[in-house]
Amino acid sequence: MLASILAQVPWQAPSIDYHAIAPEIVLAAGIVLIILVDLFVGESKKWVTASLTGFVLLGALIPVLTLAVSDPDARSLFDGRYVIDEYALTLKALFLIAGYVVVLLSQNHVEEGDYYQGEYYTLLLTSLTGMVMMASSRDLVSIFVALEFLSIPAYMLAAWRKRDRKSNEAGVKYYLLGVFASAVMLYGMSLLYGVTGSTLLSEIGRQITVDGDFGGVHALAIVFVVVGFAFKVSAVPFHTWAPDTYEGAPTPVTAFLSVASKAAGFVALVTILYVGVPQAKDVWQPFLWVLAALTMTVGNLLALRQSNIVRMLAYSSISQGGFILMPLAVAGTGDAAGPALQAVVVYLLVYAAMNLGMFAVVIAAARTTRSGEISSFGGLFSYAPGLGVLMTIFLASLAGIPPLGGWIAKFAAFRAVLEAGNGWAYGIAVIGAVNSVIAFGYYGNVMREVWMKPAPNGETRAVATPTSLVAALTITGAATLLLGVLPGTVLRFGDLADLVGAFGR
Amino acid sequence: MELVVFVIAAAMVIVGALGVILRPNPVHAALSLVLTLFGVAVHFVALEAHFLAAVQVIVYAGAIVVLFLFVIMLLGVDRTEDISIEPFKVQRPMALVVGVGVIGLVTAAVSSSRDAIGRGNGLEIPTVTGDNDSNVRQIARSVFGDYVVAFELTSVLLVVAVVGTVMLTRRIKTGKGES
Repeated sequence: MLASILAQVPWQAPSIDYHAIAPEIVLAAGIVLIILVDLFVGESKKWVTASLTGFVLLGALIPVLTLAVSDPDARSLFDGRYVIDEYALTLKALFLIAGYVVVLLSQNHVEEGDYYQGEYYTLLLTSLTGMVMMASSRDLVSIFVALEFLSIPAYMLAAWRKRDRKSNEAGVKYYLLGVFASAVMLYGMSLLYGVTGSTLLSEIGRQITVDGDFGGVHALAIVFVVVGFAFKVSAVPFHTWAPDTYEGAPTPVTAFLSVASKAAGFVALVTILYVGVPQAKDVWQPFLWVLAALTMTVGNLLALRQSNIVRMLAYSSISQGGFILMPLAVAGTGDAAGPALQAVVVYLLVYAAMNLGMFAVVIAAARTTRSGEISSFGGLFSYAPGLGVLMTIFLASLAGIPPLGGWIAKFAAFRAVLEAGNGWAYGIAVIGAVNSVIAFGYYGNVMREVWMKPAPNGETRAVATPTSLVAALTITGAATLLLGVLPGTVLRFGDLADLVGAFGR
Repeated sequence: MELVVFVIAAAMVIVGALGVILRPNPVHAALSLVLTLFGVAVHFVALEAHFLAAVQVIVYAGAIVVLFLFVIMLLGVDRTEDISIEPFKVQRPMALVVGVGVIGLVTAAVSSSRDAIGRGNGLEIPTVTGDNDSNVRQIARSVFGDYVVAFELTSVLLVVAVVGTVMLTRRIKTGKGES
C-alpha cells in the first residue's frame, strides 16, 4: 500500500555530496560507537573510550584534509544551506584539533575524579559535532540546530561533578541563561523569516537592504539575533553566567567552553553578519561597538581583582572575546570587511592554542598544588621548571607580547580596525590599546607568583605530569610559538572571498 | 469571522502564558501551558495548516504536557511554592520595567513597519482547493529535502540528551568498583 501512495507523489530525493559531509558522518558514527563500547568495557578499562574519542576526532580530520585539497574549491549542498568552503574547513579543523586537545586534558582528570567516563566523552563529541556543523551552516535552521547541538551537551558537562554544589550551580546557571539566550535569538530569527520569507542567509541578504522598506522590525530582528550570540560568547553585559560556570565546571570542560564553545558563537555571528545582514551595518555596527568596548573593559577590570586562577581566566576570556568583537564592530566601514574577517579567524585560531595551553598548565600544576588560588602557584618554577616556563609563555601570549601567537592576533585585530579609519574605529582602537596594557596587570601578577615567590608551605616535590597532558602541552605550546614566529601560516586563512564569494551571496 | 477566531485564539495564548509564569502551583502552571498550546493550534487551523494543528495538539498538548505533569508529581513539587522571598530587592521592579519596555519596543517596531511583514516572496500559501495533503507534502519536502542534515542530526542529539539526563539524575555512585 505504501508503494502505491509513494508512486503518486512526485518526489525527488535531494542529491547529497557525501564527501562534503563526511566529517559529520564520522562524528555521528563515533558518538553511537562510543555509547555502545562504553556498555561493554569494564570499569577499570574505561580509558578505552577516551582513546576512541581521540581516534574519532582524528578520523574526522581526514575528510577535512581531503576536502581541502580536492576540487572544487567550494561545495554547496541543499541550495546553499550547507556550504563547505575554505572558511568552513579552517574552522572545522580548529574545532577538531581543539577537541582533541580537550580529550588529552580530560583523560587523567576524568579518570581520577570519579566521573562517569564514557558518557563524558559522548557529550564532548556531540558538542564538537555541533561546532563542526556550525562552520558550514548558511541557513537559520541549520545554525539554530547546530547551536543547540553544541550547547545542550555543554550544559550537562558543566554539571558533571555531581557531588560538588559549585558544579551543580555552574550547570544550572549556564543552562537557564543559555536557554533564555536561545529563546531571544529564536525570536529574532522568526522575525527575520517573517520579513524576508526565507531562512537562507544569502536570500535574507538579498532582501534586507538599507533603501526600500528597512524598518523597525528588521532592526529589532538583527539586534535580538546579536543579543543571542552575545550570551554565547559571554560579551558584557550578557556575561554573568561565565565566571560561575567556569569556576564550577570541571577544569577541562572550562577549557572547552572558553575556547571551542566561544569560537562557535563567533563563527555563527560572523556568518550571519557577513552573509545575512551585511547591508544593515548601521544597526549592528554601533551595537557591536558598545558590546566590544564594554566587554574588553569590564572583563579586564574584574580580572584584576580575582584571586582564583580559573575565575581570573574566565574574566580574561571575556576580555579576549571583546578583542575578537572589536574588528567586527567596524566590519562594515570602508575596506575593513576583509581584514576584519581575517582578524576574527586568526584570533580564534591563536586564542584556541594559547588558552587551551594555559588551562593545560593549570591542570598539570594543580595536581601538585591541589588548589585554584593564584597564591598557591608560588614558586612553581623552582620545583617544576618546565611548567613554569610554559605558563610564562602562555601568559605572555595572552597578554600579547611579541613574538608569540597572541601578538599576531592582536596585531591583526588592530590592523583591521585601523583599516576602517573613521572616528568610531580610532575610538575602539584606543579602548583596545588601553585594555591591552591593563591586561599585563593580572597576567604579570601570576608570572610574579610563579618566578619570584617561594612555594607555599614548603611544597617542593612535583607530581609527575601524565603523558596525555605532556602531549597537550606540546601541541599548544608549539602552536603558540610557531604562530608567533611564522604568522604567514595563519594569516592566509579567512579570506573574505572564501566566505561571501562562491555561494555566499 | 477570521478576526473573531484570531482574537479568541490570541487571548487563549496570552492568558495561558501569563498563567504559566504567575501561578505559584507548578501543576496549575503546567495546565496553563495546555491552554497556550491549544491557542497556537487554533491559529494553525486558521492559517490552513491542519497537519501542524493536529501535531501540535497530539504532541505538545497531549504528550509533552502530560510528561511535565508526571515529572512534577514524581519530584513531589506539586505544592504551592513560596516565592515571596527576595534576596535581591530591585530585581522584580527591574524585570517589570524591562518586560514592559520590550513589549513596547516590539509593538512600536511592528506597527512602524507593518507593510514589510509577509511581503517576502518565499512564503508559499498552500492551495486549499481539493488537495488535502498539500500541507503534509510541503513539510515532508522541507524536512527530508532542504533541511535533511539538520533533521537527521537532531535525532543524534535526542539520544545524547537522554544519555546525559540519565547520568545527571542517577543516584551518585558510592564506590569506584560499583558499576
